[in-house]
Amino acid sequence: MNIDFAPELEDFRAQVAEFFATAPTPAIREAGRKTTSVFAPFKECMEWHRILYDKGWVAPHWPEEYGGTGWSVEQRFIFAEEYRKADLPPLLPQSLGMVGPLLIDIGTEEQKAKYLEPILKGEDFWAQGYSEPNSGSDLASLSCRAEPDGDDYIINGSKIWTTYAHHANRMFMLVRTSNEGKKQQGITFLLLDRVDYPGMEIRPIVGLDGFPEQCEVFFEDCRVPQSGRVGEENDGWSVAKHLLKHERGGGNAASPTLMRYCERARAAAAETLSPFGGKLSEDPVFQRDIGELEADIASLAHFEKLAISGHEIARDPAFPSMNKTINSELVQRASTLMAQVSGVDGLARQLEALRVGSNVEPLGSEFDLISMPLYLNSRATTIYAGSNEVQRDLIARTVAGS
Amino acid sequence: MDFSFTEEQEMLRDGVGKYLEKNYDFETRQALVRSEEPWSQKAWQQFAEFGLLALPFAEEQGGLGGSISDCVAVAELFGKHLVIEPYAASIMLAGAALAASDDGPAQDWLEKVIAGEAIAAFAYEEGAGTAAPDMVAMIAEPVGDAFTLTGEKRLVVAGGEADCLIVVARRGEDGPLGVFLVEKTAQRMEARSYTTIDGRSAANIRFDATPATLLDGAEAALDRILAHAIIVQSAEAVGAMGALLALTSDYAMTRKQFGVPIGTFQAVAHRLADMKIAYTKARATLLYTTAMAESGAVKPRDIAILKGQVGKLGKAVGEAAIQTHGGVGMTDELSVSHYHKRLLACDAMFGSHDYHLRVVGQG
Ligand SMILES: Cc1cc2nc3c(=O)[nH]c(=O)nc-3n(C[C@H](O)[C@H](O)[C@H](O)COP(=O)(O)OP(=O)(O)OC[C@H]3O[C@@H](n4cnc5c(N)ncnc54)[C@H](O)[C@@H]3O)c2cc1C
Repeated sequence: MNIDFAPELEDFRAQVAEFFATAPTPAIREAGRKTTSVFAPFKECMEWHRILYDKGWVAPHWPEEYGGTGWSVEQRFIFAEEYRKADLPPLLPQSLGMVGPLLIDIGTEEQKAKYLEPILKGEDFWAQGYSEPNSGSDLASLSCRAEPDGDDYIINGSKIWTTYAHHANRMFMLVRTSNEGKKQQGITFLLLDRVDYPGMEIRPIVGLDGFPEQCEVFFEDCRVPQSGRVGEENDGWSVAKHLLKHERGGGNAASPTLMRYCERARAAAAETLSPFGGKLSEDPVFQRDIGELEADIASLAHFEKLAISGHEIARDPAFPSMNKTINSELVQRASTLMAQVSGVDGLARQLEALRVGSNVEPLGSEFDLISMPLYLNSRATTIYAGSNEVQRDLIARTVAGS
Repeated sequence: MDFSFTEEQEMLRDGVGKYLEKNYDFETRQALVRSEEPWSQKAWQQFAEFGLLALPFAEEQGGLGGSISDCVAVAELFGKHLVIEPYAASIMLAGAALAASDDGPAQDWLEKVIAGEAIAAFAYEEGAGTAAPDMVAMIAEPVGDAFTLTGEKRLVVAGGEADCLIVVARRGEDGPLGVFLVEKTAQRMEARSYTTIDGRSAANIRFDATPATLLDGAEAALDRILAHAIIVQSAEAVGAMGALLALTSDYAMTRKQFGVPIGTFQAVAHRLADMKIAYTKARATLLYTTAMAESGAVKPRDIAILKGQVGKLGKAVGEAAIQTHGGVGMTDELSVSHYHKRLLACDAMFGSHDYHLRVVGQG
């Protein structure tokens, strides 16, 4: 056994850190610090996307021939670590993390030629249209219908919780093309190359933190080309399952973000009065709370490192579900601790001050500004990408079967 | 022993409850929160007509001589309807401080507050979750017969609108606490108003040698005033918890996934059971503590138990309600997230559950 990264990797780390210290604009840095969700502020996030593209670093996890970096898993982990340490806005997952890898794996040559380059360049942003008002956890029950008509499909129905659809120019979606047989067997996977088709309407939904992040998408006799289909008609479920591997898969290094939250909480606690006198950072109960959290984050980091080393832990069929469960609950705990450190200063609703480029002074510190929205937004981590109840069922099945 | 509300209390609840059902439904409340108004003047006047503004004060002061359990009976409904009017702040805290002082100006202000003609606000918090009065650090400098205040008070509910402020500060370094009156028109005071996450109007207020009058006698009543306000605020939180339990169980029994109501999945059913247990525990502690306060037997530790339990259990209930609702629980449109934010705010004010449970632990 050996825990060290190869020595030449330290040069790599230095090179990455240097770039992160110099390349982002002040607005991008501000957007990174003010990211209170897994989805960073759109405009600055895409500006940063383009800077990374120019550097050739936008898609480290893509195969080199498609614009990836050709880095080892260790290099990718180091990159992720430095990225988080620098508090930069995370890139949006739908295009780079979902539809891109899917097309690389199973798209047609035309689809690859048309879509991959604009994803890399950040010219396109894709929304993920899976969920429907009546189909959440039971996604296969979806009913948004696509009827073949000549070379087109005519879509009727609606989608919901479509993150950033109001910023998107393209969308991938699941539609029902048949009611025969099992419900999974009548689903088709479609790429829409625009989101302004006649009969298509996008309405943002304001979240509990006060920001529009998700959307509803309505289709009324909306005509889209069949050439956007990925895989066969009625075989969309297996396409979606394939994509899910990218959505829930490991190797995305959540622990550095969580450690950053703890560092920020520690720094804020050193400036915050304890209700028992002195500074909060000196308070033994705070120390125990953050200690417990950091120990759990350390275990996640160990789990992630074992996984990238190719350890059998990552081949456990429960790995993606365990990763998702541990990670999502730690995000909630870390943001709970942050909100606790802010205390009453987190109770002000400060939507305007949170906007990147705002000239409204926050009431407390920048930490106080972000802690409550982050706590509120993180309530979603145990709901999306397969709720934690559903994940625990999946994990339980692997326990019962062992 | 009897921990039920009396017939008169039930009648009062009935009247206030009907008014709120009719005039304070969630949509109306949301429109109010989004408007320029800090709260509804109409509702406040209606509360005055119900006698709620006079409820806790002695008859000889123009009050109704109501008890803490009268206030609790009403405050549960305030929580159920997410009322944003500053009842705890203006009546239970600032009003009670005015009532505790025999000074002329205090009595004049109290009269106006009871009539709904003036709003008083209570400036206490200094940013550390200042739950215990002995942690108040702000200093009042004596200047002749009067005092001046310097420093900042935070999260002063209704502070931006108040006609008078009741400020708790120390009479000189290491000196005893004093309760001070500052009029809206006072010089050298700057308020920055904002809306809290749960829709209330609040302000951070900076004092810079601001002239203030000591309210004789109010200091001695401070512990009781805070205790009663904590009880009333806890009643609001318990009301919100009850509403969340009802909403969430309804939702779980109607929302279907995989062809069945989600409430039939054991993971969801057990969470509902835990929510019910949490609500029941919190309400039991609320009612018992109220009865103790009414009989004069309540001790600081009992108040800490109440605040700690309600804060902790309320947060758990709110989080469980959002999780059970899934995506819709994350929206601004549904009341669920707003109940949770009310519970978070109730927890953070006057010391979070972390603080109070540690006070309990200190014995
Ligand atoms: C912030 C956010 C972003 C999202 N982004 C997207 C997006 O971009 N595109 C997209 O298509 N969708 C997106 N979603 C939707 C997300 O995938 C769904 O919210 C999720 O699948 C849960 O569905 P639901 O909200 O309908 O909840 P429901 O499925 O109704 O679940 C409600 C509750 O019941 C529980 N439950 C349901 N079934 C079971 C079961 N079998 N056993 C035990 N418990 C169960 C759940 O765990 C949950 O607690 C997003 C959601 C959120 C909150």
